[in-house]
Amino acid sequence: MYGFEALTFNIHGGYLEAIVRGHRAGLLTTADYNNLCQCENLDDIKMHLSATKYGSYLQNEPSPLHTTTIVEKCTLKLVDDYKHMLCQATEPMSTFLEYIRYGHMIDNVVLIVTGTLHERDVQELIEKCHPLGMFDSIATLAVAQNMRELYRLVLVDTPLAPYFSECLTSEDLDDMNIEIMRNTLYKAYLEDFYKFCQKLGGATSEIMSDLLAFEADRRAVNITINSIGTELTREDRKKLYSNFGLLYPYGHEELAICEDIDQVRGVMEKYPPYQAIFSKMSYGESQMLDKAFYEEEVRRLCLAFEQQILRSLILTMVVTNWVLQFHYAVFFAYMRLREQEIRNLMWISECVAQNQKSRIHDSVVYMF
Amino acid sequence: MAGDEGIEIQEEGDESVDVKNKAEVKTELENGGGEDENVLQFLDSLDGYLTLMDSVNSKLREGWFDLASARHSMGTLRVNSTLLDLKDHPAASTLQVTDQEDESLGSAPRFALSKWASKGGSGKGKDFSTDVNSEMGSPRSPHLRHRGVNEEKPSGMDETMLAADEEIKKERAKSLSVFGGLVSPKLRGAQLSFETALETLVEIANTRSLMLSAFKRITNK
Repeated sequence: MYGFEALTFNIHGGYLEAIVRGHRAGLLTTADYNNLCQCENLDDIKMHLSATKYGSYLQNEPSPLHTTTIVEKCTLKLVDDYKHMLCQATEPMSTFLEYIRYGHMIDNVVLIVTGTLHERDVQELIEKCHPLGMFDSIATLAVAQNMRELYRLVLVDTPLAPYFSECLTSEDLDDMNIEIMRNTLYKAYLEDFYKFCQKLGGATSEIMSDLLAFEADRRAVNITINSIGTELTREDRKKLYSNFGLLYPYGHEELAICEDIDQVRGVMEKYPPYQAIFSKMSYGESQMLDKAFYEEEVRRLCLAFEQQILRSLILTMVVTNWVLQFHYAVFFAYMRLREQEIRNLMWISECVAQNQKSRIHDSVVYMF
Repeated sequence: MAGDEGIEIQEEGDESVDVKNKAEVKTELENGGGEDENVLQFLDSLDGYLTLMDSVNSKLREGWFDLASARHSMGTLRVNSTLLDLKDHPAASTLQVTDQEDESLGSAPRFALSKWASKGGSGKGKDFSTDVNSEMGSPRSPHLRHRGVNEEKPSGMDETMLAADEEIKKERAKSLSVFGGLVSPKLRGAQLSFETALETLVEIANTRSLMLSAFKRITNK
């Protein structure tokens, strides 16, 4: 029953919620980012990060550093935090945490299949995979020639198996088919995650529904913009949109027929939460759209930690105060905030390495 | 009178010296003017060379920055070197080198870039050659290519150019497909920047060739 999570949550989830709130306190602040933005080279960045939670992961890296090294080592910190939480979690929290890594598994599957299509060495591809998305039989992906084989030989025994029902064809894997497979899998994953959170109920359902709906809407916009001018048909484009979210179903109908960024803007500005995002951009411009979406995502993720209920029409202030804690959305929020932080570090490193420090603020998203 | 004749002879000698001097001065002036022209040519081509070097540095910087933006937008798993295609495939662009004779410059190599040449064995060879020297409208090139809208061209030519543009767009999309079927506009921007940088490099090669020829003419005098 909504509002009474406090009675039972701490039995199984109290320790991990305390852990994740501790991790949240370790996220980089604006002061940290200001110091990083003034670095002259990557060794300076390493020196500044040595005073943060990433220090132990970077300290043994020899100079000269590369931006990919910084990203890899910072990702290891995220993976370690995740694995610690997963091994301490009980059901249903452990299933919730597993859901968080399915997106990375899909990315790894697509990386291996695409790389194999391009005759790359499997070992080289596996080294590039995201650690959160690894599974035992991942190397076997290289032998599959089409999606049916992919499913039958490898993925039938993985958590991604249920998502393949809409992808199973005997068509050979080529670049466009792989892209469609990626987006179809991710669509099925998001819908499954959404249904799981709805089943959990309570504050988790409320907050996660909002976060996942935003994710689905953002993906719809990105798919639309990236498919403009490509051979992807309107029908195929519409099939890639998730069946939930603020834009479902009427926004999807309109997005499916958009042919340029201004038409996308016209569709999105009808929805008040997204009007603010597109108002930051000038007409014909899409460069700042990513940053605008990331900023909105970070705002919502931080609110999950502050536990303000976003749809407050059905709740009184008393109930709101009682649900300050005791939901799983904080774990999802922490993982996403860490990923955003790593993205920020990657961007700062690239700007410093390319001597483009004046462009750092184009894409850094501040959290606190 | 003998003295007068002597004087007269002397005067005739003076005139011939004057004429001779005038002819020499004229020749010297002409040669000096020719040398000045060569020096001016050299300085012009040097200026063009330095401008192009600046331009290619700027374009490459832009391209690398756009690539970093694309990696930030799409994720490091989607934009990385392990996705590049190692299968045998023909080059998207080729370079032709010819020796061009010129009255004022002598023999000098000329570079021409063929972008987005047709791939595969369909037999339909489409060569979108871009001789950058002719595109610049060089006064030394006898065959100027006029790009852009020309109202005097027949509509058939417009349709051909539109079809060629469509083919180029397809070839560009095909090159980018190693990173996936749906890529960020930033990645497309990076591709255009690097493409422009490649054209500029060919221009630099041609300008350098002109510069070296002009320098050779100066040092040979």
